[in-house]
Amino acid sequence: MNQNDIQIDDTFAEAFNMRGTRVLITAQNLKWAYNAANAMTGFATSVIGCGVEAGIERELAEDETPDGRPGVSILMFAMGSKVLMQQLETRMGQCILTCPTAAAFSGLASEDQISLGRNLRYFGDGNQISKLLPDADGNNQRYWRIPVMDGEFITQETTGMVRAIGGGNFLVLGESQPQVLAACEAAIEAMKKLPNVIMPFPGGVVRSGSKVGSKYPKMFASTNDAFCPTLKGRVKTELDRGIESVMEIVIDGLTFEDIALSMKVGIEAACSLGPDAGIKRISAGNYGGKLGPHLFKLHEILGT
Amino acid sequence: MAALTFTLKNNLIRSLDCSRLTTDILANKSTADIEVMVLEAYNTVGDWFTVSGSDSTQIVFKGTNQHLTHIGKQMPNGTITIEGDCGDFLGQNMQGGVIICKGNAGDRAGDKMRRGLLLIEGNAGDYCASSLMAGTLGVLGTTGRYLAYGMKRGTLLLAKPPADQATWVDCGLHTLPFLSLLFKSFTNIDTKFSKITSTRAQRWMGDISCTGKAEILLLDQD
Repeated sequence: MNQNDIQIDDTFAEAFNMRGTRVLITAQNLKWAYNAANAMTGFATSVIGCGVEAGIERELAEDETPDGRPGVSILMFAMGSKVLMQQLETRMGQCILTCPTAAAFSGLASEDQISLGRNLRYFGDGNQISKLLPDADGNNQRYWRIPVMDGEFITQETTGMVRAIGGGNFLVLGESQPQVLAACEAAIEAMKKLPNVIMPFPGGVVRSGSKVGSKYPKMFASTNDAFCPTLKGRVKTELDRGIESVMEIVIDGLTFEDIALSMKVGIEAACSLGPDAGIKRISAGNYGGKLGPHLFKLHEILGT
Repeated sequence: MAALTFTLKNNLIRSLDCSRLTTDILANKSTADIEVMVLEAYNTVGDWFTVSGSDSTQIVFKGTNQHLTHIGKQMPNGTITIEGDCGDFLGQNMQGGVIICKGNAGDRAGDKMRRGLLLIEGNAGDYCASSLMAGTLGVLGTTGRYLAYGMKRGTLLLAKPPADQATWVDCGLHTLPFLSLLFKSFTNIDTKFSKITSTRAQRWMGDISCTGKAEILLLDQD
């Protein structure tokens, strides 16, 4: 299969069940909403070392936020509810509570509710104030007003937690590092416009894809040598002679459909640069289909 | 469904306890059932009110005056709208929901209120918000003596300056983003409070004769 004369491998991305949540961050202006959100989603590229995978989903206009201030929405994913709860509380305390003018609100309606400011309120040392106010649908929501040095920190008590999927991905293979990066940037720009997904790695792109296991017993993951261009000829490679660089885009999303759509949009955007821009193939990372329950088959995704 | 409406028939000249006319007590009752309910002594609802409508989650009082007392006492949810003045103990021990008084309220409005929203568009009498435990009470008009006496927690929102009180301490003038959230929650309520936009307010904390954790916010509308 080809997309704009670029080969699409007959393979699939293999993804896993995760737990996800959405938090709305508002502030005096977008600059400070981003300062808070960037801190909150910092060091959150992979659950392997960070506990959670998180990213900014999109900007929010003033009429989209509970307090009428500009903001951004954040998506955060973890392998289990306990880790997600721990990480959310820690990051709320260190990144949102501390950020001037920032406030945090629930971004997901769900039966499963996890603490957003429920425990953070004790920072108020007894001076915190609870407010139960109806939302636009008439359902009462509990907020906490916590006195801080810049005025008051406002946070909703809980946010929703849902079953989600992490690890959707595709690989961009090309003639040179700058060309592959340019294609990935085009893909990320297109994918960032979609709701319910984040690409948690730096700039949305990861250059160090991994395989399971290592020659070193203590390492449970190591470099994906089959896709390392400098090892062509030395290891069992997946790369043709003309491929000098490979980069991966990893996607976490709230549903299978959200991830599938973002992969389709991203691949089409990357391929829109054409073979003359040095893009040779699109592939995907998997573990033979034995580990993750969700298989995103590239040909099926692009055929829809 | 039309709101369950109580229209005062006669010119009431003595107090009438309306504490039984709340959303929970009136739920699933027919008009006939409601009309024979005893309010106090030998006074039934039908003696004093014309009853119409059937939606007991939305209760409206019309043709009211200052002698109707204890409206919304212990109400757990729903909305009560008073299209005129009312008497003492409006929203006493209120547990939730919304009460809107379009006119003036008597003494002890919001007494021991625990939760919910009580909005008085006119004036409030003496001891407004006395012993209030939580929730939000708003008054657009003037307030009487002994304001927020023994108020423990919760928010008293005022549009006009209160009299100085020894047991309330001045915390200064502030811009409070929380007020945006509060005003947004008024959006679906038919009240003059929904027109307020200022998030700047003078804050007092009190009543320091008890917990001192309640607040009075005087809106700065300049």
